[in-house]
Amino acid sequence: MVVERNPIVQRLEKFFLEQAGYSVEFATDGLSALARAQELRPAFLVTEILVPKLDGLAVCKRLKANAETRSIVVLIFSHLDAEERALEVGADAFLRKPIEDELLVDTLQKLITKHRESSRGEP
Amino acid sequence: MNRKRISSGDRGLDEVLSGGFPENMIHVLMGAPGTGKTILAEQLVFGNATSKRPALYLSTLSEPLEKFISNTQGYAFFNPAAVASEVLFEDLGRPLIEKGFAALPELIAEFLTQRKPKILVIDSFKALSELASGLEERRKVLFETATLFANYDCTVFLVGEYASEDVTELPIFAIADSIVSLNKTGLAGGEHRFIRVEKFRGSSSLPGPHTFAISERGLQVYPRLVSPATFGTYKMADDRVATGIKGLDELIGKGFWVGSTTLLAGPTGAGKTMLGLQFLRHGATTGEPALYVGFQENPVQLERVMAGLGWTGEKVQEKRAFEILYRSPVEMRVDEVASAILERVRQGKVKRIVIDALGDLKRRSPDPSRFSDYIYALMQWFAVRQVTCLMTYELGELFEFHRISGEEISNMSDNVLLLRFTPGARMKRTLRVVKTRGSAHDQEEHVLEITRKGVSVVGAWSEKGKGKNRS
Repeated sequence: MVVERNPIVQRLEKFFLEQAGYSVEFATDGLSALARAQELRPAFLVTEILVPKLDGLAVCKRLKANAETRSIVVLIFSHLDAEERALEVGADAFLRKPIEDELLVDTLQKLITKHRESSRGEP
Repeated sequence: MNRKRISSGDRGLDEVLSGGFPENMIHVLMGAPGTGKTILAEQLVFGNATSKRPALYLSTLSEPLEKFISNTQGYAFFNPAAVASEVLFEDLGRPLIEKGFAALPELIAEFLTQRKPKILVIDSFKALSELASGLEERRKVLFETATLFANYDCTVFLVGEYASEDVTELPIFAIADSIVSLNKTGLAGGEHRFIRVEKFRGSSSLPGPHTFAISERGLQVYPRLVSPATFGTYKMADDRVATGIKGLDELIGKGFWVGSTTLLAGPTGAGKTMLGLQFLRHGATTGEPALYVGFQENPVQLERVMAGLGWTGEKVQEKRAFEILYRSPVEMRVDEVASAILERVRQGKVKRIVIDALGDLKRRSPDPSRFSDYIYALMQWFAVRQVTCLMTYELGELFEFHRISGEEISNMSDNVLLLRFTPGARMKRTLRVVKTRGSAHDQEEHVLEITRKGVSVVGAWSEKGKGKNRS
């Protein structure tokens, strides 16, 4: 799932992620993203911080505070230089915009692999 | 934040831009047709593109794509092997006419996702914007396009035939992170090209107009001469340099201060060039590399003058200690001359310099009002780099010590030496020290003799004594 309010940016992200083999669902604000994430339980959630209704950091914090959604990999992907704040709210990684497609896809790939490996090791 | 930069493909322009165009920003290259915008865009595209991160050049409605490609091939930066692998040319005009101006962000997004360019050029963006149905549509589409650019890792150059009044009116200038304007004027009997940074978000740049030239190498910018940044922190040298002119050093307190500038003014034929050459010769033969910057005598004519002094230039040139920098006064560009001088000064290749003559530089200065600023900045560079300079200035009056110059050059100079001819049937050349900064000087007028052995100051001259020998 990707949280991004701007349709033209959504278009870019959709193209690069689908090209990498992911199927992507979009949300345009933080509140609807939270609701859809609880419902869909996506493998990952990529969110901009600067999104309406509920900012991306708050979305991440709430997902990580909930036992049912804690396992969703969260990547904060923003124009705002906020790596420290992203890690504080429990994000699995932070990337700064603009979009570098290879970096975005590689980072997600690594996060998902790491998550799967650690899930397998759990009792 | 210290952004990475994209080289313009020209060292001078990179200096103006504090290292180049910042990455991931929107840059507007503006100017009338024929000013060199497209050459600049193509130069930086070929200089930066790689097969992994190509550059995408989108032509629109000003020139057909085929013309872009064929016109570029004459320049040295053009690399045919890079076309279609590192530098990609596409036509944006035709699909936009078919789909309408509102489809611009969609079309560009398609190019970005398919081609993944590191650099995107749209040339001409102005022609494209004219397809908009009105200002409202233009604003809306531009906003969406700017949002797209801000979100993708790509540096964008929008090229357009914009005029200066467009800067405050058109929405494109509000979304631009930098604006670089190119223009052309016909000042001072020749064509002058200038480049100026109108806006440079988040970074400093060298202000004001900078001269540039276009040749088969592409665009070469000569940054406007400014005083060195280290001004005020350099140490004054206590050393003096011997002038190499017999009899002169005693008049000015054992020679010129190292790093000082001396103005040598006098009428034509009074011995300015010879005196300058002898000053350089002395340096060249005593371990101080010398540079002669001249605008009248070409190197062959100069060789003849030097041969007249019993000095063959080749002998000194063999030691790489003497260089002639000749520029024709017809084609010479003041900032290019300054750039060539400073390059040598910064590299420590010069310790003595003669500029012969200031009047030629002034005549070719596109802005005579800032000529004295230009000379002042040059003098500061010489002082900081400990280069001792002699500048000649031609006076119209043969027999009288006339007004030296209207540019305050004499005030700025550390020393002022005046030459003239004495009236009468047997004219004599004379020299008078008018000013020496930081030391006492002789007050009398002295006879200057030029023989096959060179120039020398032979004795005081008075109307009564008619050139008696020094006591």
